[in-house]
Amino acid sequence: MTPRMPAPLLLAFLLPGAVVFALFFLLPLTLILAEAGSDGGASFAGLLHDPVFWNGLAGSLLLGTVAPAFSLAVGFVLAMALARMTPRRRTAALFAISLPLTFSGLIVAYGFILVLGRAGFVTQLLAMVGFDPAVVGGLIFSPAGLGLAYSYYLIPRVVLIVLPALRNFDPAQLAAARSLGAGAFRSVVEILLPQIVPSLMAAYCLTAAVAIGAYGTALALVGTQVNILPLLLYSKISETGTDLPSAAAISIVLVALCSLVIVLGETLSARTRRA
Amino acid sequence: MTRSLAYAGVSYRYPGSDAGIFDIDLEIAEGELVAVIGASGSGKTTLLKLLAGFARPDRGTIRINGEDVTGQMPEARRLGVVFQSYALFPHMSALDNVAYPLKVRGIARAERRRQAADALARVGLAERSGHQPAMLSGGQQQRVALARALVFRPHGLLLDEPLSALDPGLRVEMRDEILRVQRDAGIATLLVTHDQEEALSIADRVCVMRQGRLIQVATPHQLYDQPADAEVAAFVGQSNLWPGTVAAAGRVATAIGDIPCDTAGHAPGAAVTVLVRPERVLPVGEAGAAPGVFAGRVVSDRFLGPVRRIDLAVGDGVVRLETHSQETVAAVRIPPAAVRLLPRETAPTGGRT
Repeated sequence: MTPRMPAPLLLAFLLPGAVVFALFFLLPLTLILAEAGSDGGASFAGLLHDPVFWNGLAGSLLLGTVAPAFSLAVGFVLAMALARMTPRRRTAALFAISLPLTFSGLIVAYGFILVLGRAGFVTQLLAMVGFDPAVVGGLIFSPAGLGLAYSYYLIPRVVLIVLPALRNFDPAQLAAARSLGAGAFRSVVEILLPQIVPSLMAAYCLTAAVAIGAYGTALALVGTQVNILPLLLYSKISETGTDLPSAAAISIVLVALCSLVIVLGETLSARTRRA
Repeated sequence: MTRSLAYAGVSYRYPGSDAGIFDIDLEIAEGELVAVIGASGSGKTTLLKLLAGFARPDRGTIRINGEDVTGQMPEARRLGVVFQSYALFPHMSALDNVAYPLKVRGIARAERRRQAADALARVGLAERSGHQPAMLSGGQQQRVALARALVFRPHGLLLDEPLSALDPGLRVEMRDEILRVQRDAGIATLLVTHDQEEALSIADRVCVMRQGRLIQVATPHQLYDQPADAEVAAFVGQSNLWPGTVAAAGRVATAIGDIPCDTAGHAPGAAVTVLVRPERVLPVGEAGAAPGVFAGRVVSDRFLGPVRRIDLAVGDGVVRLETHSQETVAAVRIPPAAVRLLPRETAPTGGRT
């Protein structure tokens, strides 16, 4: 039970967050909305008729589906292993797993180039056993490679969200299911999974939103070769002549997309949690 | 075919440690309730895990109704297990929990719901079948777990500290409930508990475990009256345990004096431990100089409701007695029939009865 807080105090506590939210989200969003609408909606109409935009949207959605799915699978298995560790080992492992979250996307991209790039360490090793370095080294500069690089910092997010749910789960339930006649796989599917689905969905939606919105790693890794919305946005404001109204329009599409995914995730996981 | 659960020469050591269970031979007959007691770490839960199939023995065989199941997975063994935490599935109703083993066996929905409802009714929970476990009390959760473990007519029932999470008052009630349900089902049952009173009150036979070994397997009466050694005596019930030496035939010398008793099987001069249960010690008003009567000074006198527990300093020792008498106690009589002589030292392997 939380003790009731007097209203003035409550307001005072909310104030810093409200100011930051207004100054760094609402205000820019309003300005961008104004910018996008400055030409009477022409920039939106332009986007709708621009095949590059649709390709970018498709690329972002693909990346925002596949990278989180892969991260979820790896992160879930990892969290299962962590949940069974002794507290001391778990703390050490969690530290190592959380570390990627503190790196900037540029550093991650650079690291991937050093390891898996055309002259990368692993690429050269694989070349010795007969893999074509042009193919291996080209992989990370493709959309799939980009997805892999994203997973590097999506997986820790999955682990951090799923681990508490797994730790709340009494493993005796699986033993009970086995003794009642269910096989190992069936016990996990029918007993463990339904109980952690809310956190899996929350993790999926959060990582999807991150994957759709991220651009630093993508820029450093593939330049603008891969067509995704954040890179399209980047090109509109930096490269060949700025096009601020259509950049603003793309921004709004991105914000809407990410917000939608987050809202979807929260709603779904809240519903299953109640059920 | 013998219908039983059996361990034959079973050993299991936890990887990277000395802990485990060693050379276990035990058979639980159909309808029999065998309780395993022992301090924590004595291996009693490991015993249950090996039978359930949650661990594989390093040596020996486990048989269910004569069939060697040592290599079988838990799901193939058809044993109902009730866990200390109950391990109910929180995302299912009580009815769905109980119906789960039937669902796994492919029984049609209507039929399994009918059987599960029956099983819940047998433990007095017919009205709660739609509730989720979180909405049930500890005792009700326990009943659901019991119904779930029995609904698929298993070959045996394994209970791992089933009552330890309950309030003391409810514990006695659930103890009787478990016994009733077990007798109803006529099923071979292994009960693991650290509560010796629980074991003595409902088990047909009690096993005492220590350091991974079965020290004694006996009926509750035998265990209480003829414990294998001083440690078992101390573990089961209250006791006076005095180191002593057989002084002559029919007499043993202890710190409180010479006690007359049956010394058959012990040569004069043999070192023994003398066991006398406190309720067998009789208070006497006047200290006569008779053999087996000891005068002393009360050092502690506690009123426990049904009995008074008195510690009487006698000679260089203390006699503990339990009595209903309200009189002042100045001396006690120890009847020869109340005295048991136990071996002084216990070899680590222990003796078996």
